[in-house]
Amino acid sequence: MTGAGFSETRQARWDRLEALVSRAQKGGLRALTETELHELTRLYPAAAVDVARARLHQADPGRQRRMNQLAIAAHGLLYRRTSAGGLQAVWHFFRGDYPRLFRRLWPCLVLATVIFLVGALGAYVSSRLVPSHAYLFVPHGLDVSDPGEVTSADISERFRQMPNPPMAAGIMSNNISVAFHAFALGITAGIGTCYVLLMNAMMLGGFAAHFANHGLSYPLWSFLAPHGVLEIFAILVSAAAGLRLGFALALPGARTRGASLRLGARDAVLLVLGTIPMFAVAAFMEGFVTPSYLPGAVKIVLGVTIAAVVVAYLLLVGRDAPAGVRHVHAGQESDS
Amino acid sequence: MDEFDVIETPENVDLQRRLAGIGSRFAAGLLDTLLFAGALVILLLVLLVSGLMVLDDGPGLVREAGVWVIALLVVLLFLVYWGYFVLFETWMNGQTPGKRYLRIRVVQQEGAAVSFPTIAIRNLLRVVDLQGFYAVAGATMFLTRRVQRLGDLAAGTVVISEEVPDYAAKSDTRTTVPGALAPVPAALEAAHLRPEEYRLLYNYWLRRDQLSLEARRQLLPKLLGPILERTGTVPAENTLAALERYLEDLLRRALVPGRDSGPEEQP
Repeated sequence: MTGAGFSETRQARWDRLEALVSRAQKGGLRALTETELHELTRLYPAAAVDVARARLHQADPGRQRRMNQLAIAAHGLLYRRTSAGGLQAVWHFFRGDYPRLFRRLWPCLVLATVIFLVGALGAYVSSRLVPSHAYLFVPHGLDVSDPGEVTSADISERFRQMPNPPMAAGIMSNNISVAFHAFALGITAGIGTCYVLLMNAMMLGGFAAHFANHGLSYPLWSFLAPHGVLEIFAILVSAAAGLRLGFALALPGARTRGASLRLGARDAVLLVLGTIPMFAVAAFMEGFVTPSYLPGAVKIVLGVTIAAVVVAYLLLVGRDAPAGVRHVHAGQESDS
Repeated sequence: MDEFDVIETPENVDLQRRLAGIGSRFAAGLLDTLLFAGALVILLLVLLVSGLMVLDDGPGLVREAGVWVIALLVVLLFLVYWGYFVLFETWMNGQTPGKRYLRIRVVQQEGAAVSFPTIAIRNLLRVVDLQGFYAVAGATMFLTRRVQRLGDLAAGTVVISEEVPDYAAKSDTRTTVPGALAPVPAALEAAHLRPEEYRLLYNYWLRRDQLSLEARRQLLPKLLGPILERTGTVPAENTLAALERYLEDLLRRALVPGRDSGPEEQP
């Protein structure tokens, strides 16, 4: 850049770049026509070179900064990861990426299950031995303080009084929130995730023991099974996502802690996002099957079957993917 | 103080990003929070009204429909609560209404536009960042080099400022520089100036009206000192005006003699 640095033609190009960039910043790339988009892709590399040249010749800092800001804005508009958008991406994800991810992260799921079982069984045994312990584990709102009066028919009856659609919607929102928290709290090196997991496990254990103490185990389980089996499984998967995040932060291995965290977060967020449909199915069951008048045995079979179908999907789908389409992260191929 | 971050583009050029400061990010966050709290309040009011309609022993049809409306509202509440940031940042390429207003944007650490999984990561982790009125976010932003909150660290994103400085308005207004940036080596030597000294002095000249008089009075003697000493020149007076006249003359001499160039006051 000799002289003022800007021949007339180059100045014109920069003006054009600025006009295109500022429009694309306001309305997104959609605000540009196809021709303008092509123009932007040609203007940007030349602009980047101008920035370098201006720096080499130590042009006026004010001007350098302005050129730099424009170039970086254009860069952010043009460079992005290519991916199919919208429904196609969702289909691709569930068609193969998600089951493969699930199979790759099975150790986290095993750990989450162990923690859950420890909490649930601990609360169960403790409440069976000392019945009053159940009140420690079960939140007050559930109103089970006097199950002597509750008959097996009553448990479902209470649910039947609520209109189904809002129930299903409310339950789904609540459960997905729990799942998101289980994932997000993984950033505390997994400690927060364990907390969420144990709280939910102890609640279930205490609840089950409380009903068992009054000889109501069968009604309770026939009531919980249609939605509960899948719901608990989905919570375990979300907790596995939180643990993945926690491990990435706590044990980065050969990577830097930052790189390990980013890699783990990507695995984990996809794992937890994939539980959303599971919660939707579980909520549907809870809203419409749980309060129904089907016999208890049918309800239990139904609940276990649906959960089994989901597990089969996670274990079997996507095994036939051609080598080139496998899930690849920063050079590390999944072992699917 | 602006903080910068350098990325290397595929064109092998290092570009500097100006990182959005904690202040503008909190301002954007506040704006977004107001918008999204407003949406939640409206939804809750509608929910309340339709809830009353359902409880009311009105005509069966209203009850039937009302039940579904409530279900829809519950889902909407959930979507706004967890989805506000995710959906906006996805649709608006890393911006939310608040970020748009403050001209800041989320981008990948490597400089590319944000992708959906990254947006999901940084916004699901928001529930941790917002503990104690975003105290967690504030602390990590303060401690990290690229002003990142936890969600940014996990997602590998930074928030940058896109304000393009209005260069023409601020500096260079009083100086015309037609083809005059590069000095001529021979002329430099004649003026007893080293190239780096020339650049320093030239930049001082361009930007002097952005400096306070006090700063100029302190700075200029320091800049000129070595040159005066080397050439044995003693300025007529030790005032700022005299020194700047000397500087102008010096810069003029460093450029090609005879060409209409050099720092010049516009009429």
